[in-house]
Amino acid sequence: MTADKSQPSAAWIAELRARFPTEREIDRVLTRKMQRRAGPGYQPLALETLVDGVRSLLDAELNTPYELRDARWLSGGASKLQMAFTLEWQHPQDGLSCTAMVLRMEPSESIVETSRLREFQLIRAMEGVVPVPPVYWCDSEGDHLPYPALIYGFAPGVTKPSTAASGVSGLGTQLPADLRAKLAPQFVEHLAKIHTAEFRGKGLDAFDIPEVGTTQCAEWGINWWERVWEEDCDEDVPLMRLAAAWLRANLPVLDRAVVVHSDYRLGNFLFTEHDTTITAWLDWELGRIGDRHQDIAWTTSRAFGAMAEDGKTFLTSGLMPEAEFIAAYEKATGLSINPRTVHWYKVYNDFMMATLSLATGYRTARGSKTHQDVLVTWLIGIGPMLLDEMRTLIEEAV
Amino acid sequence: MQMRPQIQIQSVIKALSDVVLPAIDPNNKLAIEQGKLSIGLLALLAQQLPNQFRFDCDELARLIATARELVAQAKGGKGTQAAVAALYEATQLAGGTLDAAQASPADVEAMVRALRVTSGQLVTEVYRDGEAGCRAGIRDAVLAMSKEQLLRDRSMLLMQGWEPDPKAVPSIASLLDASAR
Repeated sequence: MTADKSQPSAAWIAELRARFPTEREIDRVLTRKMQRRAGPGYQPLALETLVDGVRSLLDAELNTPYELRDARWLSGGASKLQMAFTLEWQHPQDGLSCTAMVLRMEPSESIVETSRLREFQLIRAMEGVVPVPPVYWCDSEGDHLPYPALIYGFAPGVTKPSTAASGVSGLGTQLPADLRAKLAPQFVEHLAKIHTAEFRGKGLDAFDIPEVGTTQCAEWGINWWERVWEEDCDEDVPLMRLAAAWLRANLPVLDRAVVVHSDYRLGNFLFTEHDTTITAWLDWELGRIGDRHQDIAWTTSRAFGAMAEDGKTFLTSGLMPEAEFIAAYEKATGLSINPRTVHWYKVYNDFMMATLSLATGYRTARGSKTHQDVLVTWLIGIGPMLLDEMRTLIEEAV
Repeated sequence: MQMRPQIQIQSVIKALSDVVLPAIDPNNKLAIEQGKLSIGLLALLAQQLPNQFRFDCDELARLIATARELVAQAKGGKGTQAAVAALYEATQLAGGTLDAAQASPADVEAMVRALRVTSGQLVTEVYRDGEAGCRAGIRDAVLAMSKEQLLRDRSMLLMQGWEPDPKAVPSIASLLDASAR
């Protein structure tokens, strides 16, 4: 069946859901995306519209007076709109407070279509485990705001030193050696804490837990991204078809279910420059309960790394050589790393990133669905490099 | 090659219209005017691109027909005869070029897209119910083609700055020259 991807039929959406079973909340979000695709693109929003939406949400959530002020746009990130504001309110624990907050809202269709409810629940679950921004309220269905959104606290810090150069989304950031030496141990320690944290009983009901001792976790993952490839791609890529078949033929068995951040890298944490302390881990939207090897593979991707000053040593996430990173992680967690499983997840991660850049990036920009189609279009260009990395990985596995 | 001019132009027009132009100081009339003209020229470019090749072929056919008529009718001294000879030669060359331009860029792109889809479907089916013995050959053929093609894709986008080692990627002109030989 040749589908019109700009106006998907109910029958085609149902067929994709049946072909690619995945977690319930992922299925719900992707189905919603397809059901809305034929609708209007993103229209520029006035700041006042967002302020009104936040007021509507606060009126529903708070039963004490508040004052919202200093609303302003924030840049940063390729997938969501962000508005900063200050809220004077009765904090449940701290009493009358003046709190800097951020509204994070989806555009009409995002380069990464995810669940605000999952993001909200996961940040809440990680409070006290690793530094995360305080998260306050979630408008998971866009009942108050134009699109689904959540509101979280404005954590202090920077994603890169004021003097560092980098590309969009923090990719390609070069850090000086003294800064690397201070950030790298925290980077490893926090990942270890995430992967060893107890997640049951933490209110994560928007997540399904894959069965240990089976390949269900990996299958849910490849089903998720192959479905998105089908939904969004314009020009097909034979290598993507080969990669999907290879991934299915080599599914790893899950040995332990853990919280997986799924975007754990330089550029997704804040640190304060005066004491070089990581103050918040950001961008939990792709998080899942799954296999720790997914994070290890992601963090060690070439796309997120950088060369050291010697021009020869490749640094994982721009912080430390891969072998040192793995050794430190195993020591901190007491968990072993299976190189074959890491290899599988490297192919999987490249498959996911290539899907996002080549397929979803194109589809959202073509439909004028985001607030920054020009950035989304720019990101299509990383696709061939990701595909070539994936091709090399498959060759190495043969 | 997903990163084609049409999607780039569309996104740049939207960014200029929705974000950049409204942010220009209303007192800066020159900047506002040039901003609007930039959007207008990009819109014109988007409209021209799909038709440019056929437009040129159409003109070339008309010029060839007219040139043949001119050659047939022109009579005169040495100067006229030399001009007739030059036009005749140019017309012959042009006719050969037009004859060779039977497929348009849009035709070629459509075939690229069709073969991408059908090759991918074959890969999927072979891994689903093909004989196990042929999978390695199918896999190796796709990997080998992808290696060559992705080198060209990466080279085409080199100026974006994604490559960790850009000097390792040859220029797109040299790669296409090598393919054409």
